[in-house]
Amino acid sequence: MLDLASWTSAIHTWLLGLVPEWAAILLECVVVALLIITLYAVFAIVLIYMERKVCAFFQCRIGPNRVGKWGLLQVFSDVFKMLQKEIINMRKSDMFLHDLAPFLVVTASMLTFACLPWNKGGHIIDFNVGLFFMVAVSSIGVVGILLAGLGSNSKYPMIGSMRAGAQLISYEISIGITMLTIVALSGTMQISEIVQQQADNGWNIIRGHVPAVIAFLIYLIAGNAECNRGPFDLPEGESELTAGYHTEYSGMHFGFFYLAEYLNLFIAAGIATTLFLGGWAPLHIAGLDGFNAVMDAVPGAVWFIGKTFFVIFLLMWERWTFPRLRIDHILSLEWKYLMPISLINLLLMALVVVFGLGINV
Amino acid sequence: MEEMNYLQGLAAGLKTLGVGLKTTMREFFTKKITEQYPENRKELQMFDRFRGSLVMPHNEHNEHKCIACGLCMTNCPNGSITVTSQMVETEDGKKKKVLDKYIYDQGICMYCEVCVRVCPQNAITFDQSFENAVFDRQKLVKQLNHEGSKCEERKPVARPAAAPAAKPAVVKEAGKPAKAEDAEPKPKTED
Amino acid sequence: MKTMEENKDLQTPAAAEPQKPADAAAPAAKPAAADKPAAAAKPAAARPQPKPEVPGENEIKPRLVELSALHDEMKRMRDEEKMDFLELITGVDWGEEGLGCVYNLWSTETGRREYVKAVCADRDAAFIPTVSDLWTIADIYEREVFDFYGIRFLGHKDMRRVFLREDWVGYPMRKDDKPEEQNPLNMENEVLSDTTVEYNRDADGRITETEHVVFAPDDYMVNIGPQHPSTHGVLHFRVALEGERIKKMDPKLGYIHRGIEKLNESYTYPQTLALTDRMDYLGAMQSRHALCMAIEKAASIEVSDRVQVVRTIMDELQRIDSHILFFSCLCQDMGATTAFLYGFRDREKVLDIFEETCGGRLILNYNMIGGLAADIHPNFQKRVKEFIPYMRKNLKEYYDIFINNVIARNRLIGVGRLSLEQVVSGGCTGPSGRASGWHNDVRKRQPYAAYGKVDFKEIVRTEGDSYARLLCRMDEIEQSLSIIEQLIDNIPEGPFQTKTKPIIKVPAGTYYSCVEGSRGEFGVYLESKGDKSPYRLHYRSTGLPLVWIMDTACRGELIADMMAINGTLDYVVPDIDR
Repeated sequence: MLDLASWTSAIHTWLLGLVPEWAAILLECVVVALLIITLYAVFAIVLIYMERKVCAFFQCRIGPNRVGKWGLLQVFSDVFKMLQKEIINMRKSDMFLHDLAPFLVVTASMLTFACLPWNKGGHIIDFNVGLFFMVAVSSIGVVGILLAGLGSNSKYPMIGSMRAGAQLISYEISIGITMLTIVALSGTMQISEIVQQQADNGWNIIRGHVPAVIAFLIYLIAGNAECNRGPFDLPEGESELTAGYHTEYSGMHFGFFYLAEYLNLFIAAGIATTLFLGGWAPLHIAGLDGFNAVMDAVPGAVWFIGKTFFVIFLLMWERWTFPRLRIDHILSLEWKYLMPISLINLLLMALVVVFGLGINV
Repeated sequence: MEEMNYLQGLAAGLKTLGVGLKTTMREFFTKKITEQYPENRKELQMFDRFRGSLVMPHNEHNEHKCIACGLCMTNCPNGSITVTSQMVETEDGKKKKVLDKYIYDQGICMYCEVCVRVCPQNAITFDQSFENAVFDRQKLVKQLNHEGSKCEERKPVARPAAAPAAKPAVVKEAGKPAKAEDAEPKPKTED
Repeated sequence: MKTMEENKDLQTPAAAEPQKPADAAAPAAKPAAADKPAAAAKPAAARPQPKPEVPGENEIKPRLVELSALHDEMKRMRDEEKMDFLELITGVDWGEEGLGCVYNLWSTETGRREYVKAVCADRDAAFIPTVSDLWTIADIYEREVFDFYGIRFLGHKDMRRVFLREDWVGYPMRKDDKPEEQNPLNMENEVLSDTTVEYNRDADGRITETEHVVFAPDDYMVNIGPQHPSTHGVLHFRVALEGERIKKMDPKLGYIHRGIEKLNESYTYPQTLALTDRMDYLGAMQSRHALCMAIEKAASIEVSDRVQVVRTIMDELQRIDSHILFFSCLCQDMGATTAFLYGFRDREKVLDIFEETCGGRLILNYNMIGGLAADIHPNFQKRVKEFIPYMRKNLKEYYDIFINNVIARNRLIGVGRLSLEQVVSGGCTGPSGRASGWHNDVRKRQPYAAYGKVDFKEIVRTEGDSYARLLCRMDEIEQSLSIIEQLIDNIPEGPFQTKTKPIIKVPAGTYYSCVEGSRGEFGVYLESKGDKSPYRLHYRSTGLPLVWIMDTACRGELIADMMAINGTLDYVVPDIDR
C-alpha cells in the first residue's frame, strides 16, 4: 500500500534544505490550502453533474446533454454564469452579516473537508481528537446559516434559518452519538488511527456488525439532515419559503451556499466512509490472497473516493425518492426515533466491545 | 396502544420507504422518455389536426380560393386577421371584389379555428408548423396570399364534401359578400 | 394497499348514510335515467322543431324578492327548505330596472333548485342586504359583485375589492362604465389596505360605515405570491404568522383577470366558446361542454347520442388529466420531485390522445354548439384502450412512491380538515367537498350527456383532511377509467355536428347549466335578450370557493401545511380570475 507520509516527509526535508523552517511550513500551508480549494471546487463540479444525471435517471429523464459531450460542460457554464451575476445588497439588510454568512458556511465546510483521510498518510488535519474537531468545525456552518437569515432582513430567510438552526442542532446529537459508537469500537478519536485499524482488522461496519450497521443507517439519515438535503431540505423549503435562508442572495454569494451544500454532501459521505466503510482501506476478503493483492494495488485515494461516491449515490437515491418532511416531523424523527435508538445502539456497541463480540478479520 | 404503535409504526414506515426506494430504483433502469427535440426533427410528426399557424393553400398555378368576403375577419375574436380587397372591373364590365392582402397576425391569434370554420370557400386552414419563435414580434405578422396570386376559378361543385355542416349555412347568411361570390365565378366560367 | 382497504372501510358508513337523501333528492332525474338509458342523457332530444319560442330546457325564472325581505327569505329557505348550497351569486346590470343579483340555491337533501332575484333600482347607491352570514361562500361572491357592479352589501364584514386594484375607478361590468377612460395605465405599486369597511343601515335608514381591521400593524405577515412556487398560478395570499402557525390569511385575486365575462358580452356565441378553454385549463373540455350545453338547451339545439358519448369520454379523460396533474403538483409541493415527473410522464399520454383528436393539448377547442369540432380520430379508440391498462398500472406506482409513503401520510393525514358543514356552506364542490362527505357530484345528481347510462361510483369520504382529498381524486381516476371503458366500444353512430342556424341566437331569458368539472361544479349562467351575443354570461368558477376556504382550512396549521392544503384543494387560478 502506498504511504503518502513518506512523500510528504521527503518534500519537507527537501524544503528545509532550501529555506528556513518557518518559510518551509508557510509554503507547505499555502500549497496544501490551494490543493484543498482546488479539490473542493473539482468535487463540487463533479457532484453537481452527478446529482443532475442521477436525479434525471430516477425521473425517467436523461439530464443535461446539451453543453459539451453528455452535458459535461453544463456545470462549468453554470458557474461561469453565476460568476457574471451581480451581487445585490438589499437596502435594509445588515450588510456585514449578510456578506459574512456565505463565507462562514464555506469555511466550515472547507475545514471539515480538510479532516478527511484521503490516503494512507494523506490526511491534512490529523490529531488525537480529530473526530471531535470535525464535529466542532462543521457546526460553524449553522452560524453562517443563521446569520444569512438574520442579515437578510427578510421573512422567508428568517423562517428558513430558524428551521435550519433547530434542525442542525438536533441532528448533531445523533451524529455525535453515532460517532461515539465508532469511537467506542476503535478506542481512538484520531481519524488516521480509526482508518488504520480498519485496514488492519476489517471495516468497522463488519467489525461492529449489528450496532455498526444501525449506526451507519442513523448516520446516513442524520448526515443527510445535516447537509440540508432532501427530504430534510426544509430550511430551503422551496415550496413554501421559495429558497429559505438564501432567498436574498445572488451571484457568487449564492454560489457559495450552493457549493457548500454539495460539498457537505461529499463530507457527510466521506465521514461515513471513514467511520464505517474503512476509509482508504481496500476491500479484503479473508482467505483470498490473490484477490486481496489485486485490491491492494488500487491506490487508497481511489478506494476512498469510490466508496464515498457510493454513499453519495445512496443519499441521492433517497433524496430523489422521498417527499419533504415538516419541521415538527423532522424534530420528532430526531428526538423520538433517532436519538433514543442511537443511545441504545451506543450501549449495544459498548457491550460488543466489552465482551469482545466484534468480528476481527 | 401508543406504546405498541411505536415499533409497529416504525416498521410500517420503514417498509413504505423501502417500497418507494424500490420504485425509483426500478425507474432508474427503465427507458427514459425524454424527447431529443432538435435531433428528432425528422421523425417528429405532428398530428394532422394540430393547429400550428394559419395558412392559405395555393395550387400549382399560384391560385388560392379566397374571395375576400371578410367573414374570417369579422368572426375572429381577437381581430388577428385583416383582409383588404379591391374592386376590379372584369372584362365583361362587371365589378368584382378580389383579394388584395390577407394579413394574419399570429402574435395575437388564439387558434380557436373560428376563421377556418366560417370560411365558405375552405380557403384557409391550419398547418402543422410549430416552430414559430421569432425575435421580433413583427415577423409574426404574415401575408398569407402569395405575391401575384389570384383567386382560383371555381366550378360550382368545387366545395369539398368534407366541409362541416355549419359551413354552407354561413355562406347564405353572410349576405352581401356571399352574393358577390355567387355572382363572381359565373362570368369567368363563361369565359 | 393497506391504506386503501382502511379507507374503504371508513368510506362505507359515510356512503351509506347520506346516500338516502341523495337518492330521494333527484327522483325526477334518476328513474328517467334508469328507465330509458338512450334518451336519458338528453331528454330534449325528442323535441321536434327547434323554434325560438320554445322555452329553453334549462331556463330559470328567478323569483323577485324585495330587498327588505331578502335576508329573512334566504334564511327561511336555508333553514326550512334545506337550501344548504348557495351555488352562485350573479351580479347583473339590468339597465333601467337597476342593478341586482341572482342567487342560485340547490338543496343537497331534496335536490330542489331555487332561484332568487334581488334588484336595487338606485344605481348610484346600490345596497343589498348580505347573505354572507348564512353561507360563508356568499362572502366572496358578494365581494365579486361589489367589485364589478358596485353593489354594496349591507352587513358584509369586508367590502373590499377582490379582483381589481383597490384604487380602481368605476365598476367595469356595469353596462355604462368606461373602464379604459377612467383607469389609465397605472404604473404605481398597488398598496393593499389593512382595513376594511362594513356598511349598515341604521334605524333612520341612513348608511353607516364601520371600519374593521384585516391585519394589525404588529402581525407577522408573509406574502405568499403573487409569484410563488406553490400558489399554482398568480395568486396572492397575505398570511399572518404566529411562529410557523398560520393565524389568518387573506387572498388577493385578480392578477391574471382577463375580463372574460365582459368580453363575452360583445362576442357572438361561437366566439364565446374560445374563451372557456382558457379559464380552467385542466377542465377545458368540461367548461366548454357546460357552455355548449347551456346554449344548446337554451336554443333548443338537438345533439346526437354520438356527441353525448364522445363528450362524456372526453370529459373523463380531462378529469384523469387534471387529477394526474393534481397528484404531480401535490408531490412537487411536498418536495417529491420524482413523483411529480412520473405524473407528467403519464399525463403526456392523455394529452397525446387529446392532440390527435382535438388538435390541441391544453387548449382543446373541441366542443361546438350542436356537436363537436371534428369526429373522433380513427386512432382514438385504439389509443384510449391502450391508455386504460397503462394508467391502471402506473396508478399503483403513485401509491408506492408517494401516497403510501410514511412521510407523505404524516404530512397529509389530519391536515387542513374541513367539516361537512364548512364545505357545504363554503360551496366547495368536487372532490374537495366529497372528501368531507358531501354528495355533490353533478354527474349523479343531475345526469347529463351519457352519465345516466354508465355505471360508476360517486367517491365520497368522511375524513375531510388533505389525505382524503388526495385519495378521493385517485379513486376518481379509477372511476373515470371505468366510465371510459364502458363507453369506448359503444360509441353510437350518428352525426358529430348538428346543423345549426348560421347565426346562433338564444331566445330571451335566463338559463343555467352545470357540469361536474375536474375540481367541482362548473356552471354557466346565461342571460339573453335574444341577440347573437349574451347579455350576461357568468361562470360558476370551480376554484373560487376552494381558494376562499383556504383561510378556514389553514388557520392554526403550520405554514408548510398550507402547501399541502392548497395542493389538495387543487384550484386553478385562471379559473378564479376569469
